[in-house]
Amino acid sequence: MTADDRPIGRVTRCSTRGFVGAVRLPEPEWPVFGTFCRAEAQQGRSQVIGLIYDLSIEDDELARQLAASEAIRPEQLADSQVNRQVPVEYRALAVGYLNGGGFTQALPPQPPLTLAPVHRLSDEQVRTFTERLEFLPLMLNVPEIPVDDLMAAALRSAAAVRPVGERRGYLVRAAAEVARIVGRDLTRLESLLRAVRP
Amino acid sequence: MSLNLPQLIAQLEPMGTALAEQQAALRRLLPAARKALEHAANLPPEALESQIQRAGDRYRGARPAGEALLEAFAAPPLEPGLVVAGADGSQVYPDRHAAAFYFVIQVGGLAMEIGSGLAPQIHTRPQIFYLPEDLHDQDGHPIGNAMVNGRRDAEEMRALADWAEVYAGRPFVALLDNGLLLWFALQVREQNQKDVDRILQAYLGHLDRLKAGGGCVAGFIDRPRSADVLALAHLATLPPEQVNDQALRSNPYRALTDRALFSERLEPGQRSACFIDSSPLNRDFHAKGHEVRFFYVMTDARRTIARVEVPAWVAGDPLRLGRVHAAILDQCPSTGGFPYVLVRAHELAVVTQQDRDQLEGMIQRRLLESNLAGQASQKSTTKRWTRSRRRHRL
Repeated sequence: MTADDRPIGRVTRCSTRGFVGAVRLPEPEWPVFGTFCRAEAQQGRSQVIGLIYDLSIEDDELARQLAASEAIRPEQLADSQVNRQVPVEYRALAVGYLNGGGFTQALPPQPPLTLAPVHRLSDEQVRTFTERLEFLPLMLNVPEIPVDDLMAAALRSAAAVRPVGERRGYLVRAAAEVARIVGRDLTRLESLLRAVRP
Repeated sequence: MSLNLPQLIAQLEPMGTALAEQQAALRRLLPAARKALEHAANLPPEALESQIQRAGDRYRGARPAGEALLEAFAAPPLEPGLVVAGADGSQVYPDRHAAAFYFVIQVGGLAMEIGSGLAPQIHTRPQIFYLPEDLHDQDGHPIGNAMVNGRRDAEEMRALADWAEVYAGRPFVALLDNGLLLWFALQVREQNQKDVDRILQAYLGHLDRLKAGGGCVAGFIDRPRSADVLALAHLATLPPEQVNDQALRSNPYRALTDRALFSERLEPGQRSACFIDSSPLNRDFHAKGHEVRFFYVMTDARRTIARVEVPAWVAGDPLRLGRVHAAILDQCPSTGGFPYVLVRAHELAVVTQQDRDQLEGMIQRRLLESNLAGQASQKSTTKRWTRSRRRHRL
């Protein structure tokens, strides 16, 4: 199993709007904001496509005990930061699903299964999924998430998996779609376009 | 059905009352126990030794190891370059209802170079045992949990001896989350003499390696319930002509613990005198030069008392004994009075129920690939049906 094949965690909570995953991996392998991922649903008949928008580090009782202690040794601190598998929780917004018919950019019919493994989308899958841009409106009206930053991060991820010569064209096409969606809010549009500028 | 808490609540009230009464009765006993220990301490050492000789093999208590019984000792400063290691073990016991008959031992450990600022070296070693010779005793009977415990204890000591060899030449203290005596041997020795001796010899061999590498080893027992020193105090108060079975058994302090006694006598950071454990098990250890001795230590300002067991070659060497004492005190403050390396060793070793379930699933799949019908028994399957309180699938 290569590093890319390895699950980045498992689903702990979910709804059709998204899911929460927990991961116990060393820091260099944590997923990043704006990562496209997939989690199994409908007993394997489909995969929910998610866009990671929040990462948080859970504490545990030992971490709390050490944090409250005035007598922590530097070696103990290093142990916690280097050796201990830190429980990282991430939230993913559902932006589509994959089934026998290919990718669909709409909310999935069912959420993933509890404890379903979560994988990063391969570069090829990201390229295919983001060829169409209907996933952008799905992100717009979700409360309490940094929609604009997420949209910009998703488009940058999508551009990065394309050949260098195609990236600018892709981003220009995406910017036109963004302008169509938020065109009435010029301040927001300007900020978004600045964030995805090649 | 989970634990029926509403029905239990009614039983908790009398339980609380009874325990409070027991505590009050124990507190009333303490002054007399204290006086008895003072009496023992004031006896000439040879008189106390004569009394122990009179009691012979019937006596199950502490023997003085040369230090004044009531003295409290401060720890020396921590040595530069000290390495503190800890090991702990966990297991999956053999289960005839599982997909296959096997058991698992996992030992976790770490070694911390004090003052280096570096993250400790960590190590986890899982082993699965499935061969007939691992699963059956000398008479061909399936082994029980006690034998697995014995093998786990030996593996823990092996991990510590391995660390000691890695750090040979440096001041080194290995901590074990348990006493040093192999108690499983008392449980199963009569039925399994050969098997027990094999494990015991392996364990003592690892102690040899630790000693040869110049290291120290100590077993750390949190919240000890032993009353060995109280037994000594009681023996000291008996008139010589009355040292007999009945008098030894009628120890009025047997409900108390040494911990209660030393929590009054010690100040934070201090240790008690060293004593010799008079368990019959200690004869094997004595014969191999590893006689187990113990002391009590107040590990932190919250007045936590722990029992620390060390081999005679540590207890009898002031440098090594001080090194163990100082290392334990250094390890305890950040984790509330229990050594940090043992907290982490447990975390590295522990096998959770989820781990067990996953392993069982992997074994079942592997057996199927080998065209074997590896299935859990129906009883085990039905227990799994009713264990889960929620459905995961939609």
